[in-house]
Amino acid sequence: MDLNYTTEDVAFRKRVRTWLEQNMPRHIRNLDERKAWHRRLYEAGYLGMGWPKEYGGQGARPMEQAIVADEMARAGAPAPTNSLGVGIVGPTIVVHGTDAQKRRYLRKILTAEEMWCQLYSEPNAGSDLAALRTAAEDKGDHFFVNGQKIWTSGGAVADWGLLLARTDPAVPKHKGITCFLMNMHQPGVDVRPLKQITGSSEFCEVFMTNARVEKENMIGRLGEGWAIAQTTLGYERGGRALARITTYASQYKMLMEAARRLKRNGRPILDDAVTRQKLGRIWADLEVERYGALRTLTMLERGEHPGAGGSLTKLSYSEFEKRFMELAEEILGPYGQLTDGVPPEFRLEVDTAVGDHGTWAYAFLWSRAGTIYAGSSEIQKNVIGERILGLPKETRADRAGATR
Amino acid sequence: MNFSFSDDQVLLKNSVRAALDEQCKPAHVRAMMEDSRGYGDGLWSEMAKLGWLGLPFAEEYGGAGLGLVELCLVEEELGRAAYPGPYFASVVLGGLGLALGGSPAQKEKWLSAVASGSARLSAALVEESLDWDPASTRTTATRAGDGFTLTGVKRFVPWAHVADALLVPARAPEGLSLFLVAPGAPGVSLRPMVGIDLANRWSEMRLEGTPVKADAVVGQPGGAGPLLESLLRRAAVCASAEMLGAARRSLDMSVEYAKVREQFGQPIGSFQAIRHRCAEMLMAAENAHAAVYYAAWALNAGAEDAAMAASVCKSYVSEAARQVCGDAIQVHGGIGFTWEYDLHLYFKRAKALEPLYGDAEYHRELIARQVVA
Repeated sequence: MDLNYTTEDVAFRKRVRTWLEQNMPRHIRNLDERKAWHRRLYEAGYLGMGWPKEYGGQGARPMEQAIVADEMARAGAPAPTNSLGVGIVGPTIVVHGTDAQKRRYLRKILTAEEMWCQLYSEPNAGSDLAALRTAAEDKGDHFFVNGQKIWTSGGAVADWGLLLARTDPAVPKHKGITCFLMNMHQPGVDVRPLKQITGSSEFCEVFMTNARVEKENMIGRLGEGWAIAQTTLGYERGGRALARITTYASQYKMLMEAARRLKRNGRPILDDAVTRQKLGRIWADLEVERYGALRTLTMLERGEHPGAGGSLTKLSYSEFEKRFMELAEEILGPYGQLTDGVPPEFRLEVDTAVGDHGTWAYAFLWSRAGTIYAGSSEIQKNVIGERILGLPKETRADRAGATR
Repeated sequence: MNFSFSDDQVLLKNSVRAALDEQCKPAHVRAMMEDSRGYGDGLWSEMAKLGWLGLPFAEEYGGAGLGLVELCLVEEELGRAAYPGPYFASVVLGGLGLALGGSPAQKEKWLSAVASGSARLSAALVEESLDWDPASTRTTATRAGDGFTLTGVKRFVPWAHVADALLVPARAPEGLSLFLVAPGAPGVSLRPMVGIDLANRWSEMRLEGTPVKADAVVGQPGGAGPLLESLLRRAAVCASAEMLGAARRSLDMSVEYAKVREQFGQPIGSFQAIRHRCAEMLMAAENAHAAVYYAAWALNAGAEDAAMAASVCKSYVSEAARQVCGDAIQVHGGIGFTWEYDLHLYFKRAKALEPLYGDAEYHRELIARQVVA
């Protein structure tokens, strides 16, 4: 056990920091500028780092990936784009795709020349994703896709989508799903922004009416879609382990700065014993998240797969984020709810979960998303209970029968 | 960066677990709960033989020269077994106290004896007010010739009734000082304080004009503050390791029980109400693990954030262990509330250590001082 960073990692961190100082844009005004920044990161070797070299990546260690993301969080660097493409679609194609698919799609994912979204969730298939109903009908050399997707992150700017659709309604639901690459620019695809409780629209709804998918754009074989979606994929696994904590820590520091101006019961709020207890607890929880991140990185560095352990991490930090933002709101009072007209001394100027500078109000509202997306806390607890603790599965009515 | 145990550390953990599974079964714990002295010579000499009693001391004092991470591995297993005896008092409180601040002569005399099991130490770190800040010490040390006389009342002194010497903080003319006191010295009286964890023993210790010689001072007169703070951090982290062990045992028992206990025609573990609770218990235990071993490493390595890590650890684990051990009783239902079932041994161990060496709120205030500054 040695929790110091190696001299190699310290040197690497320094190189990344210097590079960011020299290359980081101060403001990103539109998608084109974000793509240009993305491209610059890629060319410097700081994006898609975990991808195998033969597909344009660096084959970098998880710690190196974590350090780059961490330094970006520290510097308040704008986020790159196409994160689902780089994080999920690309790795899926690398593992399950044909050579032709790899040649056609991979590089343009890394360079953000083609933007990707993930067409998974549906109005009636959220936590129970395998209940999805969007149908893909075999028309000989192509499929016709009909149905509706929801919670499609980045759908409005996506050129392509990784689609899960039902190809066989006669078999049990997990067996009748197939995975496709679908062109988003076609008449049968209608993308509508979904306005969230934040007032913004990071997600979309996607309606497909006889949308066409070529046979050559099927990933894996018919009926393998569920298995493909279940594989823990991704090369960007060092990912945001450290960056997330650094973002929380800078938010915490800004909260302390703001709190210095506030009073409670006639005294500075930071002298208030109740507030101090709450601040102490959240800082302890934040540190525990950091220790946990170091543990995860150690496993990844040793080539071990956390597997269902990832559910513990996700459950822990997403629930933490809610508690943290609730405390921030308690301390800031109505200042914490301002979406406009925020006095400068109460502004939050660190990246929120989606990589934008934002207000406390926005960060607070966003914290409600973390315990729902990518498997709600309840789903994570089921996974932990079944796969780590070995508790029996509940009796379920949906395992055996056909979907129609 | 490597946050995992070495092969040697895993070996140590496994051998401690195996020895305790054999020699510290619940039946042994229960027997010692009824025993007037409270611990068994057999297990004690086995601990000496296996090198656990000298684990953190230098080899010249008969120790193994290992660090706090290894000590916490042992403590975690002791908590898992609800071990009854003065290991923590002797090795952590007394032993580490002397190892940190004792003179070569004091170390020579006591650490070798602690390591061989022939002597037991403890420390009297809190008084009536329950303030864990050493600066709150009110016991006095008055100059008397070369030495001092001590007067005051200490509370919750672990295993004082079997100790050969105790570390006693007192306020001397020079300032806060630390003394080695024999419980049989004139003016010392002990009164048992019986808590809910009967496998642990505490005493009230009264000192009324107790004479101590000059060579009984640990460190310099007036210089005990930093030493005591350093010792308390180690005590807090080792106690956390013991609470973590109690929590792990409670979780394991709950999961096993939830697999076999049937109600409504199904194992109760198939119900989300139970499964989700178990998942939350595991999350708390894993986070507690990270908190304990990060802090142990940081203190051992003298890392910049060592003091912070110790407070993070004690504040987090105090509540996590309370939660996990309490949830375990809830998962078990009625049987978890019976004396006969072993679950309460671990619940009580965690509860007993929760307020000692600073409870969660005490350490959260220490954290707040660092982050507000």
